Amino acid sequence: MTVDSQGAVDSASVDTPRGAASQTPPPASGPGEAVPPPRGRRRMPSGILPYLLIAPAVASMAVLLLYPLVKNLILSLQQLNRREMITRETVWIGVDNYTKLLSDPDFWNVVLRSLFFTAANVALIMGLGTLIGLLLNRLGKAMRLTLSLALMFAWAMPIVASVTIFRWLFDEQFGVVNWLMRTLGFAGYEQHNWFETGFSTLVIVTLLVVWGSVPFVALNMYAGLTTVGSELYEAAKMDGAGGWRTFWSVVFPNLKPFFLITTFLEIIWVFKAFAQVYAMNLGGPDRGSETLPVYAYIEGLGQQHYGLAAAISILTIVMLLAAMSFYFRLILKQEEEQ
Amino acid sequence: MKRRLIAAIGVAGMMVSVAACGTDSGDNGDSSAGGEKTLTVWVMDGSAPEAWIAEVNKEFEAKHEGVTVKVETQQWNGIQEKVTTALSEDTPPDVLELGNTQTAGYAVTGGLADLTADKDKLGYAGWNKGMLASAELDGKLFSAPWYAANRVVVYDKAAFKKAGVTPPKTREEWIDGLEKIKKSDPDVQPIYLPGQSWYVFAGFLWDEGGDLAVKDGDTWKGALATPEAVAAMNFYKELQSFSTAPQDKDEATPQQSTDIVPKGDVASWIGLGWEAGGAITAIEEAGGKADFGYFPIPGKTADTPGSVFFGGSNLAIAERSKNKDLATEWLALAAGKEHMAKYAEAVTGSLLPNNDSVQFKPEAGSFAEAMGLAAPVGKITPVTPGWVNVETAPNPIKDYMTKVLKGTDPMKAGEEADKVITERVNQE
Repeated sequence: MTVDSQGAVDSASVDTPRGAASQTPPPASGPGEAVPPPRGRRRMPSGILPYLLIAPAVASMAVLLLYPLVKNLILSLQQLNRREMITRETVWIGVDNYTKLLSDPDFWNVVLRSLFFTAANVALIMGLGTLIGLLLNRLGKAMRLTLSLALMFAWAMPIVASVTIFRWLFDEQFGVVNWLMRTLGFAGYEQHNWFETGFSTLVIVTLLVVWGSVPFVALNMYAGLTTVGSELYEAAKMDGAGGWRTFWSVVFPNLKPFFLITTFLEIIWVFKAFAQVYAMNLGGPDRGSETLPVYAYIEGLGQQHYGLAAAISILTIVMLLAAMSFYFRLILKQEEEQ
Repeated sequence: MKRRLIAAIGVAGMMVSVAACGTDSGDNGDSSAGGEKTLTVWVMDGSAPEAWIAEVNKEFEAKHEGVTVKVETQQWNGIQEKVTTALSEDTPPDVLELGNTQTAGYAVTGGLADLTADKDKLGYAGWNKGMLASAELDGKLFSAPWYAANRVVVYDKAAFKKAGVTPPKTREEWIDGLEKIKKSDPDVQPIYLPGQSWYVFAGFLWDEGGDLAVKDGDTWKGALATPEAVAAMNFYKELQSFSTAPQDKDEATPQQSTDIVPKGDVASWIGLGWEAGGAITAIEEAGGKADFGYFPIPGKTADTPGSVFFGGSNLAIAERSKNKDLATEWLALAAGKEHMAKYAEAVTGSLLPNNDSVQFKPEAGSFAEAMGLAAPVGKITPVTPGWVNVETAPNPIKDYMTKVLKGTDPMKAGEEADKVITERVNQE
């Protein structure tokens, strides 16, 4: 991922400093990767050393990611409920778990809900994060430090702790929010249930997820903005561009790779967000706030249908891969253009 | 995993030290050398008074030289996943406590040892028949009943006195009393009753002659879309209208005994013995004084109290246990008459022991006394392996209750719930 984004940044902006990963100074004329640079680059070590160096990373990936993935795939082709788990029977049922899911309207409800939830969250996170990033760039030193610290605290907050606090804030009987609404003079907040429906529950979850994720975008945005040369702003000013125009003509094209990678990272994170959604209301009321990961957890561990849950998670991965393929296509296209 | 590792190290350490002792004294090395064993017992939080189980283990260890009994306390929350995983392993706990509504579900998986041959040793003949029902499946014995308990109404004597209300005998008296309390002090909740207290609802349903699920030929089906369920739910709704408790929560979220009642302004609530105890402790810790009275949930007529869910636990032995014989011995000792008498005493009657002849005589006005009055009308959820699937979260009965309380037609909500219940109860 880092390498991809690096490449994207390089291709789009000449002002962006190159990362520490590439030791060579930027070649004067175009891409000169094929020509061996005259000096500065050490001879590549040969023999098994490179393989040894990369082995721990590959091994840990294989153990922690590949093995569970393959195992999961195998499980998804089995009927594995409480009984099979205890008797250790292996019952192969082919793609039954998949056909059952794909013909289940509940599953499609959850898929749609997950997609809307992700879209709403990512849009809010990117929008607010960008605005706060721009603000950081404009602020004076003291205020910038204060805001950065506030953002860091929100970012560093452990998820379950923050969910617990949100639950109590919005509690029906003892919640601060209900008290606040009453104090401000709004009627009907005597015992307002903020978790009345699946939708209202997800709205609260969205509040939490956005609050927790905006700092990442804002701070990165600010870091990106510091790399945009001030002469570009001056030039824009000379041409009479307003703030809106400056953003779209100067900031956005310069930081396009940043927006791209951050948006896709946020999509991945929000789509697979589990703790925030589950801990908020256990997927309720009446299963109305279940997103795909929560659905898999409830079917798997709650209902003890481990095979079915494996199939759900495989389908989730497939959907994420489909979304990510857009990103890789964009990257590849840019490389080609270059 | 970590715990097992620690246990293994602990056992290894003990072996070394015992071996060391053996070489020093050179006496009883023979008997302990081959018999160094650990018997693991899982009990649920709040089930086994510490002093009581320590005494059982002491006696057991004295009888079986070289055997150590290790008691591990488990939490109810998420216990099913844990038990399933434990029973699937090569080194499960030897003895484990199972909720009475869960036992059949595990018996059918083959994860529990068949205890039919050990009936006499375990004291089968003396067991309470009502409690025994959940321990057996298809004529085979899979666990020993341990204890049972049921809910009663806990009330604040001061609040009742202020409103001039005495413990009711019938539903009408109950509702009248709650009306009076409401009038006497509008700040007080006459009864705290969250919308998803489904064991309470089950009692009302049994009062009407209905049930949560009924057998239909070889299969089971949900029975909430019935006139009985409508009547039961209507009464629940009437009762719940006296409470400001959330309609989409059960009595444990927030925990009524420690999070709600100690805050005050609750004239009565429905709970178990340990909940009443917890509330008293919480009130006293906050510097207050609890003065609770107890009465059985009123029935439709004055001559019988309302039906109640007979909650309780059984003790089972894992089929894959490496020490089945020892486990049976332990079970016979712990669930035997002598220790169950001590058990009843240790819990001062707030849990009923498995043997009627050793019942503790409760004090007048105690929780145990009110519970004992309702025990004869105690019932349990349908005894079928699939029932355990119905109870797992998200529980369709809870969702059904919330829907009806929020205004959905009870028949329509019942049909939706029945669909889920029928699907789940027929799965093994």
